[in-house]
Amino acid sequence: MSAEADATATARKGAASALRVLGLPAVLIALWWWAAASSGSFFLTDPGTIAATFAEVWISERFLTDVLPSVGLLLTGYALAAVLGIGVGVPLGMSTRLRAAAEPVLEFLRAVPPPVLVPLLMLLVGLDTSMRAAVVVSGCVWPVLLNTVEGVRAVDPVLADTCRVYGIRGRRRLGVLVLRSASPQIAAGLRQALSIAIILMVISEMFASSSGLGYAVVQFQRSFAIPEMWSGIVLLGLLGVALSAVFARAERHALAWHRGLRAASRGE
Amino acid sequence: MLDVDGLRKTYSGRGREVEAVRDLTFRLGEGELACLVGPSGCGKTTLLKCVSGLMRPTAGTVALDGRPVTGPPPDMAVVFQEYGRSLFPWLTVRGNVELPLKEKRLPKARRRELVDGALEAVGLAHAGARHPWELSGGMQQRVAIARAIAYEPRVLLMDEPFAAVDAQTRADLEDLIRGLWKRFSMTVLFVTHDIDEAVYLGQRVIVLSASPTVVQDDVRVDLPDERDQLTTRSAPRFAELRAQVYREIQTAKNGGGPSGADGAGTGGAEADGAADPDDPEADKGTGGADGPERTPTTTGGPR
Repeated sequence: MSAEADATATARKGAASALRVLGLPAVLIALWWWAAASSGSFFLTDPGTIAATFAEVWISERFLTDVLPSVGLLLTGYALAAVLGIGVGVPLGMSTRLRAAAEPVLEFLRAVPPPVLVPLLMLLVGLDTSMRAAVVVSGCVWPVLLNTVEGVRAVDPVLADTCRVYGIRGRRRLGVLVLRSASPQIAAGLRQALSIAIILMVISEMFASSSGLGYAVVQFQRSFAIPEMWSGIVLLGLLGVALSAVFARAERHALAWHRGLRAASRGE
Repeated sequence: MLDVDGLRKTYSGRGREVEAVRDLTFRLGEGELACLVGPSGCGKTTLLKCVSGLMRPTAGTVALDGRPVTGPPPDMAVVFQEYGRSLFPWLTVRGNVELPLKEKRLPKARRRELVDGALEAVGLAHAGARHPWELSGGMQQRVAIARAIAYEPRVLLMDEPFAAVDAQTRADLEDLIRGLWKRFSMTVLFVTHDIDEAVYLGQRVIVLSASPTVVQDDVRVDLPDERDQLTTRSAPRFAELRAQVYREIQTAKNGGGPSGADGAGTGGAEADGAADPDDPEADKGTGGADGPERTPTTTGGPR
């Protein structure tokens, strides 16, 4: 009896949380549907048609020719930016002199909007994937770099003294003290970089590519394949959601100590 | 074995020069447990940083077994006051204790043996897999102590290690330190601002003056070796020693010079604990017990 009641309660709870998660999207989709039907505009496709087109367009060889190269480009650029940002950020964070010398240049480079580099890089690197990766890197590297510098600068002096007392130096110091204590900040930088990476991936493909998601969306628009265009936009949105979910999961795992520490210091 | 000779430390910044430590000379014998006590802001932490090699003194020398200390020596461990910030929050308790041993390149079996021994010695054998922030303040300081012991130092420096824990935990930790000191036969230099703690723990209490710091007095604690929070603290001799150190600190706060300048370092303390007749400030000093904390005296240059 009670087991049955429990099961009912769990089911009710599950239904309630499903309603919370899906409620607003359902309302928005309904609104859109109504708007598409009542406006009669050619460019406003209703969600049903978009969903049908989505399956048709993307679950096909386009997945291999457009989606995978785009995701590959995104991840390559992002990974390069992460390595570069952390690799340069750590020495800058550790040395006051290096920082003083590099700061004005970094501030300038950071202020240059990355999309404006597309024409330049087209000339310099050419029209291939490495150029598009360079665009992604040029935008993503800044939040990672600047957050790494700040995180490394903020290493606790007591922990640094502890390392000195126990003779912990070199690579072990870097791994166990510097990178770990900067990791919450580095993660914040990586999170910002992720959304920048998606934007720059699309922009670089719109300007200078013959394949990829950005290219596909522009092509659909130019050939008046409006439902297809919409489905591309939806796919990009879903891609962003999926990537940030993966990121959140990885961060949760890597920074479990940080959450615990914060919770403990709030509790006191 | 630990010689501090003519130690002086001045900080300079923005055109001012602050003399934190003026001239400190004392010596610790092998296996000795000495407490350094002095008024607030008298440069205890500066002194400890110089002794541990974390900071270069402006003048004077620190030598361990005759070798000058220019950086943290390999056979010295330090327990800091800020336990919460001296433990690595991303490592478990075990990881924290083991880390210095990894840097020493000890084999795995030996590391395990040392970590187990140290955690057991501080009563945390069960907590190895937890993270420091899951423990109470007193337990965190025990972890820091375990890390120091596992390192097998010959000299253990402690910088007001129990200043931030509650009174009961503090009493337990004091007994723990006495126990560990005997068991591991280390030389211990224990810095504190608490007179009772200094007298209870030490074989010797080195009293520092207010900043700029010199050694005010060096009191030999002739209490029995077996100490106990109840009986030792209620012994008449404890009260006498406590009163003696207290008076010295009051004198120091009020700017009195070292009372036994010639006797400093000899450990010769007067048994009667009476006020020093040569020091007219000694009696007035009691009124300043809760006086404002002294900040380092600013000097325009060498005085």
